[in-house]
Amino acid sequence: MYIHNLNPSIKAITVILSVLLLTMVFDPITPFLFLVWIWILTIFVAKVNIKKYLLYFSPFFIFAAGMFWTNIAFANEPINPTEVVSLFGNTIPIEDIQTALSLSHRILTFASLSLLFLLTTNVVHFILSLMQQCKLPPKLAYGILAGYRFLPMIKDELVLIKSAHRVRGINRAKTLKENVHQYKRFIVPLLASSIRKAERTAIAMESKGFTGSRERTFYRQFTVTTKDWLFMIMMLTVLVTLITLAWQIGYFRWYTGEI
Amino acid sequence: MSQTAVIKVDHLTLSFEDYPEKPVLDDINFELKAEENLLILGPSGCGKSTLTHCLNGLYPRELDGELTGDVFIKTKSIHEYSHGEVSHSVGVVFQDPETQFCMFTVEDEIAFGLENKGILPSEMENIIDSVLDLINMTAYKTRKITTLSGGQKQKLALACILAMEPDILVLDEPTANLDPVASLEFIKTIHQLQQQKNFSLIIIEHQLDGWISLIDRCLMLNNKGQVFYNGNLRDGVNVHRHTLEQQGIWIPTPTRIALEIEKQLDHTFDNLPLTVDELASYPLPNNIFLAHINRRSTQLALKAEELIWTKKSTTIINEIDINLYEGEFITILGANGSGKSSLSKLIAGIEKPNKGAIHLYEKSLNEWKERDLRTKIGYVFQNPEHQFITDSVYDEVAFSLRVRGLHEEDINHQVTTILQQCQLTGFEESHPYTLSQGQKRRLSVATMIVDNQSILILDEPTFGQDANSTKQLLSLLKERNETGTTIVMITHDMELVQQYADRVVVMEDGKIALDTSPKQLWEVPSEQLKKWQLELPIQVKLEQRKQKDVSYVYS
Repeated sequence: MYIHNLNPSIKAITVILSVLLLTMVFDPITPFLFLVWIWILTIFVAKVNIKKYLLYFSPFFIFAAGMFWTNIAFANEPINPTEVVSLFGNTIPIEDIQTALSLSHRILTFASLSLLFLLTTNVVHFILSLMQQCKLPPKLAYGILAGYRFLPMIKDELVLIKSAHRVRGINRAKTLKENVHQYKRFIVPLLASSIRKAERTAIAMESKGFTGSRERTFYRQFTVTTKDWLFMIMMLTVLVTLITLAWQIGYFRWYTGEI
Repeated sequence: MSQTAVIKVDHLTLSFEDYPEKPVLDDINFELKAEENLLILGPSGCGKSTLTHCLNGLYPRELDGELTGDVFIKTKSIHEYSHGEVSHSVGVVFQDPETQFCMFTVEDEIAFGLENKGILPSEMENIIDSVLDLINMTAYKTRKITTLSGGQKQKLALACILAMEPDILVLDEPTANLDPVASLEFIKTIHQLQQQKNFSLIIIEHQLDGWISLIDRCLMLNNKGQVFYNGNLRDGVNVHRHTLEQQGIWIPTPTRIALEIEKQLDHTFDNLPLTVDELASYPLPNNIFLAHINRRSTQLALKAEELIWTKKSTTIINEIDINLYEGEFITILGANGSGKSSLSKLIAGIEKPNKGAIHLYEKSLNEWKERDLRTKIGYVFQNPEHQFITDSVYDEVAFSLRVRGLHEEDINHQVTTILQQCQLTGFEESHPYTLSQGQKRRLSVATMIVDNQSILILDEPTFGQDANSTKQLLSLLKERNETGTTIVMITHDMELVQQYADRVVVMEDGKIALDTSPKQLWEVPSEQLKKWQLELPIQVKLEQRKQKDVSYVYS
């Protein structure tokens, strides 16, 4: 559970730094190798359930595959039109395949980095850590937490309002226009009750002495320890090593503004 | 008991920016002594919540309006307290169990107040454990708040406050959103706490049964925000019995029955009883209560057979058969989560059962067109606002008539009649959201009876309503019922069951445990009733008490 127990803020910063570094790379192999590394971390170190992981990952995979296809189908005029491979019975310039692969690998890498963070981090802990390590103002942090609590309530309420309106004799919307109109009608009661709930919560928080000031103690304390720095160093070292390796072998390319 | 005042309210007058000429609180004066329990009584809209906000440090800082006079908390004026400081002395438990929390687990929520107060993290664990022990919820420490019941949430809200060790506890209608069993449990917890901790208590409540033995003194407010009585509860009720009724202030049920007796028998109680025991000790004539005459027609309106409804692989409704007859007044009872709402929604055709058949007037519910079905079955949701779709009271009632394409003249006639029945005349142009709670409720009923629906289903329509609104609503329902409408009402209020129901359906674990007349329900052994989380109504308790006395005399 090493990755689960890391400081959430450091984990987030590591992910962001890796993403920034990766945006500068534009060859298909470096991101792919890094992708394999993240998968190893996710499945064997963080021990995320594979089925669950594949489920979350599938939309990104479809997106990446779509990206691959569109980049080949609508590619620019190649510089070396003679270098081609044959794929699905079509001849395609190698150059186009490279660009397409780079882009789709990039999407996959970003997605798996984000998933590594999301699947191993408790949202509440992340916000608490942001307050403690990154000086996020408590006013904002606790506002987000309270709002996050409301989400399921709002969802339940929407279901209720829908059936309540149906009982009034409003037929199910069939056209898009009707649908838009219907949602407009849902918004008023939903907003009214959300505002009221938010006000009540705010009053309850204030009467428990919440002022929004930074001077407060924390029941769950988040600290940054060696293991957190080690994680950051490890991730960045792996990435930099991969880049250096690519450089030496000679397939490395900087990102120079291709699509 | 020391005699120092922990709270002193001195000529407090408060008005909001929008209505400067109409103060919400008007020249309020009172004191709260250390370790004293004060009850504040008043009709809804008398400014009770505003007063709470003056005591918990929200006003004057957050007030858009004017505040004159002063409030002293432990001899220091509320104007002099710094932001957040009042919370060290005054803790409040609010009405709505859903919206008092901002964290996700029980321990984090209790810690939230301690963090605000700046308690050292190393000390928090001990405090959290000790307050959880006080409210008997130690096992729930790491539980998610969303998995708690309403009663448990209110106890948690109490624990959060206790952790901050205030000298004054304010309970702002803490049981208004709880069912009777959870309410009693909450009150019991307060009783126990009083023996272990020293604090003063301000109780703002609608529902008084259960609180009476706790109360030292009582403050009565009228709907203009003025104090009209300050003293002993018993004397107050005695002297102001008519004002209380007029203002629609909840009074203890035994007291209400005594007032009924006064009216019927031309007898005056010198000392109005506050509890069942006191009322029972009066030499009352027998048969003072008109027995409710059960009318059971044989004209079948709706027939449901072998209903099964499952949601996410849990069975919510498990093989239910039920028939509704024309002109019945049925109440559906049972513990929370026993399937009352689900059953009512299936019958109303709002949800579809997985198995089973429902026939309305011998035609399967599936064969009814949605629009026609709605002119036969009305359904009133718990929150009336959910059902409002237009911008004025008139349009709201006229909506379904317009959908049906009636002439504007006929519509006008019908809407006027319905508004009159629902006591909403004069509010035609008001926006539904600006009405009072009671008016909103009656408007939602109005929209559901305007088509002369033959079955009207209501999901806890009296929840959170004051005495007057409840009375107006029930007399409206009674009137409809007498003209032949079948009324199906989910409720926790046993007094209503006793007064109005022809038939009771008790639900337990998705099944109908009992389907009988109220009279027979009262004969069920008390152990069984407790399991269903049902209480006997006061009148029945009273009669049982009297019978016991009689048998005692003759044995």
